[in-house]
Amino acid sequence: MENVIETRDLCRYFGDEDVRVKALDHVSVEITRGEFTAIIGPSGSGKTTLLHLVGGLDNPTAGQVLLSSTNIADMSSAALSDFRRDHIGFVFQAYNLIPVLSASENIDYIMLLQGVAATERQHRVKEMLALVGLEGLGNRRPGHLSGGQQQRVAVARAMASNPDLILADEPTANLDSATGIALLDIMRDLNRNHGMTFVFSTHDQKIMDRAQRLIHLEDGQVVRDKSK
Amino acid sequence: MLFLKLAWRNLFRNIRRTLLTVMLISCSLAALIISDGTIAGLVEKMENTIIRTLTGEGQIHHKDFMDDFDSDLMINNPDRVIDGIKTKTDVMDYAPRIMIGGMIASSYNMTGGLIYGVDPERELNVSRIKDALIAGEYLSGADRQILMGKRMAELLEVTLHDRIVLTVAQVGTGETSQELFRLSGILEFGPREMDERFAFINLATAQRLIASEDGVHQIVVRFRDPALAKNREHPLYKSLTHGDIEAISWLDFNPSITSIIQISNFVTIILGGVLFFIVSLGVINSLFMSIYERIHEFGIAKAMGTTPGNIIQLVMLEALIITIVSCLLGGTIGYLSSSWFSVYGLPIGEFEVSGIAIDGSIKTKVLAQQFVLFPTYIVLITLAAALYPALFASRIVPAVALHGLYKGLYNGKCD
Ligand SMILES: Nc1ncnc2c1ncn2[C@@H]1O[C@H](COP(=O)(O)OP(=O)(O)OP(=O)(O)O)[C@@H](O)[C@H]1O
Ligand SMILES: [Mg+2]
Repeated sequence: MENVIETRDLCRYFGDEDVRVKALDHVSVEITRGEFTAIIGPSGSGKTTLLHLVGGLDNPTAGQVLLSSTNIADMSSAALSDFRRDHIGFVFQAYNLIPVLSASENIDYIMLLQGVAATERQHRVKEMLALVGLEGLGNRRPGHLSGGQQQRVAVARAMASNPDLILADEPTANLDSATGIALLDIMRDLNRNHGMTFVFSTHDQKIMDRAQRLIHLEDGQVVRDKSK
Repeated sequence: MLFLKLAWRNLFRNIRRTLLTVMLISCSLAALIISDGTIAGLVEKMENTIIRTLTGEGQIHHKDFMDDFDSDLMINNPDRVIDGIKTKTDVMDYAPRIMIGGMIASSYNMTGGLIYGVDPERELNVSRIKDALIAGEYLSGADRQILMGKRMAELLEVTLHDRIVLTVAQVGTGETSQELFRLSGILEFGPREMDERFAFINLATAQRLIASEDGVHQIVVRFRDPALAKNREHPLYKSLTHGDIEAISWLDFNPSITSIIQISNFVTIILGGVLFFIVSLGVINSLFMSIYERIHEFGIAKAMGTTPGNIIQLVMLEALIITIVSCLLGGTIGYLSSSWFSVYGLPIGEFEVSGIAIDGSIKTKVLAQQFVLFPTYIVLITLAAALYPALFASRIVPAVALHGLYKGLYNGKCD
């Protein structure tokens, strides 16, 4: 299977010599196309740090992040912006949406940055809203959507521009259990039916159970990596 | 378009802050328009009061005459100069004058003074001697008529029709010449100097008295458009300045007013500078507040591929919209209030400028440049001020911005 992304000896340290926090310590993982992978581990183990580095939101202290053999650590900040726009979809824990834009406009946003034609965008927005079960709510602003609905819009937005990979950092952490599982099932369906690659972090056992592969982090190191 | 839409909508997120910023900018603009109009009105009033009272807008005289009013320094053939003036269509009217120092005596007292020989008809268009008349009658051209300032009349203890004897030196020979007059009118200009020292007789009488034949000391000119008088390059000045004779604008023979005008321009610049400074601080402050509230959002936007350039564009657009709205509002407020004051006047009480009383109210001047130049400056200043917060926002590191949120949430929800 083709690698979507690969990290080699990825390190991210915070602080100075005296109080050095090794948030990531020589992490080497490969994510192949079509995976549905959970990153798990206790609080502070480096899950968020790993997702940020893979998504080009942060620069590593050492090591490499390779996207089809391009090292994104070498990219300028402008090039990184384009890289994120074209290759990575993000879903964060909460407040993912731009509050002054409606659900549809939020989904539209990345495609607008990409310069996708208007008719194509309209079509995609409709399609995405339907995929996450939000037909008819496109005109609502985030403030008028529930937490679960907002997260579904975030997933739809991440999907819309057809990225190589969607990174989701604790996407269900702010949702009640049932809503969280419903969101994950939507992600699972998108993974199965549309071949979208997902990497998400979680604390929640019920969410982990739905993952295909579990990468277990502790103190910034991969301690276990198993696929079902 | 995307960022214009975002910028527009962002302004409605904190309407109170947006309105306060708009008020700050628009009130500054309005204040600038009103104050500039007031200063322009004040200058115009000073020009009117001082220039049009007596000295005229332009003067032609012997180039050394103004130094110490030496009565020998004359325009000896005024007709040639007057022919020159008549060819200038910009000139409304002119008035030739004799100006001579002399002794003015009544039966009770005597004083030195400056005696003007004037053409009463022409002076009507050029100066305000007749307007200053508070008792008696204006000159009609007859011999023995004399007008004098109120204070001089008091000093000489004379009333209308009392005898006055003038003693002056004749030009050239320097022999004294004396003549009897009867006080025909009393003047009040306002300035002490003028009311105490000035007397007016008919031109022909004065010429005979000093034996100057046709010669005069100065020819005062009034333009159809007062603004023309201030143009030192005007053909009138250029063509009539010739040999010993010079033709100059009041800017040059009334340097005290000229310097007041320069100072008042300076006042506008300082006031504008202070207001622009306040405006830019206000804009920086309000943009930073709105950016700090949206750090997480900028993190999200950047994670989605929004470039630093996009973010700068967004913040600059927000500043631009605020400024344009403010300029429209401030311009309207400024226009309405300045127009009101230009009709009904701004009450300022009474004050003195170089010994001349300016009183009543100033009528502000509404000038096109106030609505073109000032808003342009405001837009430029605001955009320059917005650059700093815009650059700050563009440099927000998404990982840090997003981390901040997590801390915030944990603190708020789990602790
Ligand atoms: N910007 C930062 N500055 C300093 N230390 C940081 C920073 N970001 C992360 N860390 C530290 O790096 C370590 C890993 O943090 P990270 O956020 O990746 O953990 P996590 O696994 O996502 O934890 P959680 O489950 O609580 O979200 C922690 O010790 C954290 O304090
Ligand atoms: Mg985390």
